[in-house]
Formats: sequence, C-alpha cells, structure tokens
Amino acid sequence: MNTFLERYSSTNAVSQLKRAQRLAEEEDEFTDSAWGSQAGYGQLMNGPPSFTVPNVPDPSSFLRLHTDDHADPNCRIKIQHGTTTLAFRFQGGVIVAVDSRATAGSYIASGTVKKVIEINPYLLGTMAGGAADCQYWETYLGMHCRLHELRNRERISVSAASKYLSNLVYSYKGMGLSMGTMICGWDKTGPAIFYVDSDGTRLKGDLFSVGSGSTFAYGVLDQGYRWDLTDAEAQELGRRSIYAAGHRDAFSGNTCNLYHVKENGWEFIANYDISKLHYDGPGDVAGSPGHGYGYGIRVQGRSSANPPEATAAA
Amino acid sequence: MSIMDHNGGSVIAMVGKDCVAIASDLRLGDRALSISSNFQRIFPITDRIYVGLPGLGTDVATLRERFRFRVNMYTIKEEREIEPETFAHLVSSTLYEHRFGPYFIEPVMAGMSKTPSGGYKPFIAATDLIGCLNFAKDFVVAGTASSKLYGVAEGLWEPDLEPEDLFETISQTLLNAADRDAFSGWGAIVHIITKDKIITRTLKGRMD
Amino acid sequence: METSFAITGKGYVLMAADTTAARSIVKMKTDEDKIKTLSPHLLMAYSGEPGDTVQFAEYVERNIRLYQIRNVYALRPAAAASWIRRSLAESLRSRKPYSVNLLLGGYDTSSYNPQLFWIDYLGTMTEVPFAAHGYGAYFALSLLDRYHDPSASLEEGLDTLRRCIDEVSKRLVVTPGKYKVKIVDKDGVREIEL
Repeated sequence: MNTFLERYSSTNAVSQLKRAQRLAEEEDEFTDSAWGSQAGYGQLMNGPPSFTVPNVPDPSSFLRLHTDDHADPNCRIKIQHGTTTLAFRFQGGVIVAVDSRATAGSYIASGTVKKVIEINPYLLGTMAGGAADCQYWETYLGMHCRLHELRNRERISVSAASKYLSNLVYSYKGMGLSMGTMICGWDKTGPAIFYVDSDGTRLKGDLFSVGSGSTFAYGVLDQGYRWDLTDAEAQELGRRSIYAAGHRDAFSGNTCNLYHVKENGWEFIANYDISKLHYDGPGDVAGSPGHGYGYGIRVQGRSSANPPEATAAA
Repeated sequence: MSIMDHNGGSVIAMVGKDCVAIASDLRLGDRALSISSNFQRIFPITDRIYVGLPGLGTDVATLRERFRFRVNMYTIKEEREIEPETFAHLVSSTLYEHRFGPYFIEPVMAGMSKTPSGGYKPFIAATDLIGCLNFAKDFVVAGTASSKLYGVAEGLWEPDLEPEDLFETISQTLLNAADRDAFSGWGAIVHIITKDKIITRTLKGRMD
Repeated sequence: METSFAITGKGYVLMAADTTAARSIVKMKTDEDKIKTLSPHLLMAYSGEPGDTVQFAEYVERNIRLYQIRNVYALRPAAAASWIRRSLAESLRSRKPYSVNLLLGGYDTSSYNPQLFWIDYLGTMTEVPFAAHGYGAYFALSLLDRYHDPSASLEEGLDTLRRCIDEVSKRLVVTPGKYKVKIVDKDGVREIEL
C-alpha cells in the first residue's frame, strides 16, 4: 500500500528528485559537475520561477487537446467564448441584460440561449463561459439559498450567496471549471451585484459586463450610466448596450433578454431581437428613442460633405 | 483559426433559366470585430461576367486589381470581350501562379456565355485558392459560410428558375446561411445577370 | 497600449493618436507624434511594430511628396489610400513585411468630401465614417456607433473624440497617457489642443 501511495504522491523522495532533475535540465548553464556539487538538490532552492502546469511531457498540447480551439469544435471541454452579459446598479434597482448567441467555432449553434439563470425570485445569475458549469452551479446555489432561508428564517443576502458560489468554484480551481457570472439581487442592504468567476475572483460593484462583447457594451454603458437613471432610462441603457455588443462582436447577438430587479424581486422585461433593434428600435416601450439603434438609421440623411454655398445651390 | 476566416464573408452563385445570379454578404471583420458593413467583394468583369472574391480582405483588393489588368490586356490584344469560360481559366492560372504562396481567395464566377448560334447560356464556376476549377450546373459557394450555404442551397435550388424567382432563391439561401455564420452577414448584395441586363439589389440582413 | 481614433464631421476629419513610445515595459517617450501630414489635405495616423512604423510612414510621406513635385497636384485621398494599400499588400508577401496599421484621413478639395480610410497591416482597406486601431477600437467603435454624427460641427466632433479617449482611459488596463489631435479640412491640416 505504501509503495502504491508513494508512486502517486507528489511529495515522495523519488518525485522530488525527478522534479529537481527536470528543473536542472531546463537550466542550460549548469554543467554536469555543478549538478553533482549541489548534492542533487541545489536547483530546488534557486531554480527558475515556473508556472504550475499539468504533469505531462507537453502541457500546452495537452491543454489544446482538451479545450475548444477554434479549429476543433469536437473536443472535450467546450468553452463558450461568444457572449455579452451586463448588469448595473442604479437608484431603481438592478438592470440585467444579456445576449442569446452560442457559437462553436464560426457556427452559430443557437440564437435562443437563456443566459440569465433565475436562481430564485430575488436572485439572478448571468452566464458566460461554460454553459453547463453556470447552469449547474447556479441551480445548486439556488438550492442552498433555500436551505439558508429555512434554517435562518430570513433570505440570504446577495453577498452571502455570491460568497457561497465563489468558495464553491474556488474549491474546484485548476480542474477546468469555466464561468464568469454576475450574481444580482435585492436584499436588506438594497440592490447588489457581485461578479464571481472560476478563478475565484469575487467583486462587489455597481457596473459589470462579462464576455467577448463586454468591451463594446462598456463603451455605451459607461457613457450613459448615472446613479439617478429612471427605470425607463436604465432599461433603455441595458438594451442599447447589448445591442452595441451584438452589432460589433461576431460572437454575440441574436436576441437581448432584459431583467429588472426591484425591491420585491426580479421582473422579466422582454426579449428583443437585436436585428429588429437595429432597424426599428425597441418599439413602443419606455425609454425608446423612437427609431432604430443602427448607425445608418440614426444618421440617415446627414452628410459630412460641405460644398460651398454656390456649388450646393447649383 | 484559419487565415481564411480572418475577415469573414461568403459568396454564392446560382444558375437559372437564361440567367445567373451571384450574391455576397457585406461584412468586413478583423476576426471577431466587425469593421465595415459595406465591403464589396463582387466585381463586374464585363457586361455579362461578375466575379466574387471571398477570403482575405487584402487579397480581395489585390486580385480585383490583377484581374482588371489582365482582362484589359486581353481585351486590347484580342479586340473583343472575354468570354466567361476564358475568364475562368484566366482566374485559375492567375491563382496557380502563386501555388507555393497563394492568395487566400476562393473566387466564384457567374456570367452569360455566347453560344455559336448567337444566343446566350448561363455559366457559373468556382475555384479553390490555388485555382482548381469547378464548373457546376446548379450552384457554387465559397467563404466562411460555405458549409451552411451548401445545406440551404441544396434544399432551395431548382432548375429553370426565372430571374425574379432566382433572386428570391439566392437571397433566401444567402441570408439564412449567413444567419448561422458568425463571420458572414451585416447586409448582402445580389446581382442577377440576364443576356441584356443586370439587376442589382442590396438586401437588408441581420446586423449582428 | 497603442491606440488611434479618427472621425469624420461636417467638412473635416479629426484624428487622434496616443503619444507614447514604449519598449518592453518602459515608456521611452511620451510626446511622440504618430500622425504624419502627407500632403496639404491628407493625414495618416500609424501604429504597429516599432521601427516598421516610422520607416513605412516616411517612405509613404516621401513618395506622396514626390508625386506632388512631379505632377503639381497632390493625389486625392482615395488615390493616395489606394497606393498606400498596395504598398502594404506588396510588402506583406515580401521577405520582411511592414507591420503597420493606418488610418488615412483626407479632405477631397474637388468633391468637398472629407474621407477616412481604415487600413491594416495586411493591406485590408475600407472607407468608414469613423475608425480606430489598437485595443481602443474595442471600446470606441460601439461608442461611436452610438454618438458619432457625420454632420457634427468641430466642437461636437471634439466632444465625441473626448468621449472615446475618456472611455479608453477608464477601461483599458494599460492606458496611453496623452493624445495628439489633428484635423484636416478645406483649409488644410492643423493640430488641435484637446
């Protein structure tokens, strides 16, 4: 039993020696004589700094083999890289808006993905990264939030819920979980948003956007954001930002799902077709500009030419 | 990710009854980032030949210039317009000249060729990036959405479509295939070529 | 990280490029001018591989000047853009290609049109109402889709440009510090203090 354990343990003498040898091999300047003079353990102390990698001969090819490269959609781990999700806090609560596109390489696998996970009537989670990871763990989180309610006779705070999720995914760190999520809700302290990802990062904040289209969403979101936005203005800003990302990012688009979290729980506002937003706008809703969001539609009839008066008249 | 996917874009050509159609999307991207929604990759060669150049954006412009030069030289030397079949071979040999450092373009050609009896008959062809010619009797596709275009075209195309029906068929094929391709879309343009006129229409497509 | 923007407005093209010259993790210079004046009504903002940028920009500058000396008239923006694109495309398939991204803004004095061309190091070219290169593009393009107005006055155009610069400073991890802003319109080329 002991020999069996030792063979697979990373702290036994043989593997330590192996590691030392591996480090020595990398360090070219050390001659064979230097290796002997340090009793075989010299490199353990002053070896070059290194990153933690899978214990295989070629770590990068190992990773490529198992992760979703653009060229190979048939691999083991699907990383859903195409996404735009955003959430922001304002005086009227929290706005959560997401797109609905899922891509495998250049193929648009689905245009109707639900990227907002309704954890319970007071909590929403967004989905970026591994779809299954987000769905499973956020549903699991919902279960524990309910248990918390039963045990403590009060609702779990957004902070506690997100911390629970964060600790959970952190315990799986390095095993391939992939999620970037925003846990949004309303508790005793008011509206709250926490960004949680599979690295173990957990951030409290007013405004986040996650996914490949996030930079485009930020571009519009940051410029239009104020704390004292009205409900209509805030919903419009969320919609407009997702449109911006859907328009510019090849991996985001199709439709926009909009949620508004208020004091007594979240409310689903609507599902908007992003192409329809481009040509016609959101329709007859609060905050609508009354025309399409598209650049060409917005500036129709305007020109940057400035012919002199005489020429213009002629 | 392949260099052929760098800028995105797709082209399709179809045969109808005494007419041909060629259509393309209008997106120019920088990988995932979309730059322009008005990037033309279909060019007229003569009054009866159009060529579509899906692939790497820089080579779209370069090859367009090259083909224009070579066709002009041909026209001057021969003192007549080039025929679609001849043009197809010109395209093929131009590409094969760069066999070991190819242009990253898969051209699609559509035109009406003269018959000995004085009439016209539809002609379409496509080549791979080093000039292997493929003459088809129904339709040809190329670009990032080519696999999707095959599927839709296989389902929608039928022989002997009148110009207006062919327009509908090629438009629906292109738009629906582009909607399943992340690198194609952002509007589309369709040219219908008949023996005596050309109909060009810009389509409203999904803008995501 | 290098970033450049350009926007068209009523009768002008505005260009902004950051002024940092970086090597490794060090800022070597913070007042480098990365926008060249190619002809009386033509501006070119360049970014990319250090060394290649200035070499290529000067090559273009001298050739455009040579054309003007030989022919009295300078190339119009579209013609100049076409020549520059071709130079890049030819260089791409040479032994040592230039790795330079360009924004070319000009005012066409015969059609009274300001014109802007987006050109990348491969020689891909397209005419656009506004453009950006570098990581800034990922923030600025969506912003410009929302705020850009092709018929904006100079003051409005500068406001839009300020929005872009502010957004990039706010979100980009390594922000370029200062920007140099130039304008080309019917009166020629000028530098503008933002």
